[in-house]
Amino acid sequence: MKKLAFSIAKSRTKFLLLLFAVELVILSLITPYFLSLSNLLQVTQFGATLTLLSLGESLIMLGGRDGIDISIGSAMSLSGVIFGIAVSKGIGLLAAILITLAAGVLLGAINGALVAMAKVPALIATLGTQYIYSSLALYLTGGVPISGFPEAFSFLSLESTFGIPNQILFVVIPITVLVLILVYKMRFGRRVYLMGTNPEAAKFTGIREVRVRMGIFILAGVLAAISAVINNSWLMTARADAGTGMEMQAITVAVLGGIGVAGGVGHLGGVLMGVFIITMMNSGLQIANVNSVWQLAVLGLILIFAIILNLLMNKFVIKMKKAST
Amino acid sequence: MLKKYIPKPGRREYVTFILLVLEIIIFGMVTPNFLTVDNLIRVVQNNAEIAIVSIGMTIVMLLGGIDLSVGAVMGVIAIVIGYMLKAGINIFIIVATAIGIGVALGLVNGLLVAKFNIPDMIVTLATMNIWKAVIFGLLGGKWLTGLNPGYAVVTRAKILGMPVLLLLIIAVYALFYYFLMYRRFGRYIYATGCNIQSANLSGINVNRVKMLSYCISGGIVAFAAMLYIARMGSVEMTIGSDLPIACIAAVTLGGTGAKGNGKRGSVIGTLAGVLFIAFLKNGIVILGIPSLLENCFIGLLIVMSVLFDAVTANRKFGKKREVSV
Repeated sequence: MKKLAFSIAKSRTKFLLLLFAVELVILSLITPYFLSLSNLLQVTQFGATLTLLSLGESLIMLGGRDGIDISIGSAMSLSGVIFGIAVSKGIGLLAAILITLAAGVLLGAINGALVAMAKVPALIATLGTQYIYSSLALYLTGGVPISGFPEAFSFLSLESTFGIPNQILFVVIPITVLVLILVYKMRFGRRVYLMGTNPEAAKFTGIREVRVRMGIFILAGVLAAISAVINNSWLMTARADAGTGMEMQAITVAVLGGIGVAGGVGHLGGVLMGVFIITMMNSGLQIANVNSVWQLAVLGLILIFAIILNLLMNKFVIKMKKAST
Repeated sequence: MLKKYIPKPGRREYVTFILLVLEIIIFGMVTPNFLTVDNLIRVVQNNAEIAIVSIGMTIVMLLGGIDLSVGAVMGVIAIVIGYMLKAGINIFIIVATAIGIGVALGLVNGLLVAKFNIPDMIVTLATMNIWKAVIFGLLGGKWLTGLNPGYAVVTRAKILGMPVLLLLIIAVYALFYYFLMYRRFGRYIYATGCNIQSANLSGINVNRVKMLSYCISGGIVAFAAMLYIARMGSVEMTIGSDLPIACIAAVTLGGTGAKGNGKRGSVIGTLAGVLFIAFLKNGIVILGIPSLLENCFIGLLIVMSVLFDAVTANRKFGKKREVSV
């Protein structure tokens, strides 16, 4: 029994699996309909944008130097608005998607330039860009949502293949796999982790910190742009406030998933589990007809408890290790 | 005898003041309506809460922290004040309760930050969302209107052609300037923000300083909530949602950097930052620039001022700073 507790405490992913199971049981007790396979698969579509955004956010936090990006929500809004304007100007869907991705690269690169090159604290820099991006998004739409996308666009997010929502099957899963390969099978990921755990050692091993950090921020920007496209096709409108508050959710998910705020600690697998848990909780609370303000409050409580739990578990692991030697 | 160390405002604060004077001169020349007492009163009224709360934010940011929960805390206090005013309770009891709630909510932040060692940003992000839910619960989706406290005349009165509110704000700033520069606890704050290890080694109870700073921040927010009630006469759901970012913008512009830049910054700089942004917003409206772009200008200002700080800091410390991070 003690051994089992130790293995759960040591691996964040295992702990989250346990939490996930508990949550599923509770939710299916509240609404019996919840625990059907088709419902579970359909619920995943609510987590599509959050998955991409929190992957980007986690990478930024992993990279250390107090990395955080509170502009990804508004970067998503702004690139979504750019997509909407491009489509409404009569540009083809594919070209519009390319323009949006380019916008994502640019928005991420601005953050990266501020944080990596000018060495501005990430929190303040992205706070400033959050203001700029969201205000530009609002200005470009004039406060009115852009609608009137072609019917074909709804294929991306409003239809399902084999019972799995299209955006999950064709976008989120492939991109997640790509990111996981990039981080855990290629040099880039090891550099990010080393930079997070020990920036000085990273410097002396010849890692060009500026370049890698720019890469992280640009990747986060691109992921925000992709999630903007998905979100647009899901709602069939481009709204200036599409990403408002998403950065909070992304940070919460990352911390819940075990990403250390100081950098270099945590695994993206835990983050994916975190997305599952939060998405299930949100839809469960929605089925139970709870106001969205309370969802945010629950999120806040989970966030604090997740960190306190992190600390307690670390202590427990250290104690167990001492006992075993 | 040892010479007492008194932190002095540096060159950075003067830069903000020069910018402020330049801005007033430019707007005054371009628009004749700008330099009138009525306009001044309007500007001060619209930014009274930001000015007050920015003091607490300066203290927290001098310690290398950040307080995103100030807006939601102000909302909670304002609603409690509103209900107590409606119930006809003695004004002194109301004031005491307001300050008590502010200090208590600040203590929650402080405890989580200092005792559990959770990053400030995460703690206050979480508590912000929790208090927002509390606001929703207290208001129940309705507005609280028809509040007219006896002290409301303060916000509209004039003495010798100067708005009383402005004099009041300057007096509060002077008080905190004295407190931070010439009292022992103020120096503890600077010392802790400057170098937490050496502050700890020299016998300062660092955790206590942090907790008390958050309490001060909360107590000041109570004062801002009273001004808000006096000015608006009503409370609604979205109260204070822009407040934290506006304060951070003002503090950053005033030269207090995030992340323990304890050597730099003072409330004097913050006052200049608050007034600069206040007149900028006013000038944007007078000049007829679309108000949707207002936040874009403020965001640009934040980015530019942190860039300025980063560039000057990099030049001063050269390579040394990079290694020591």
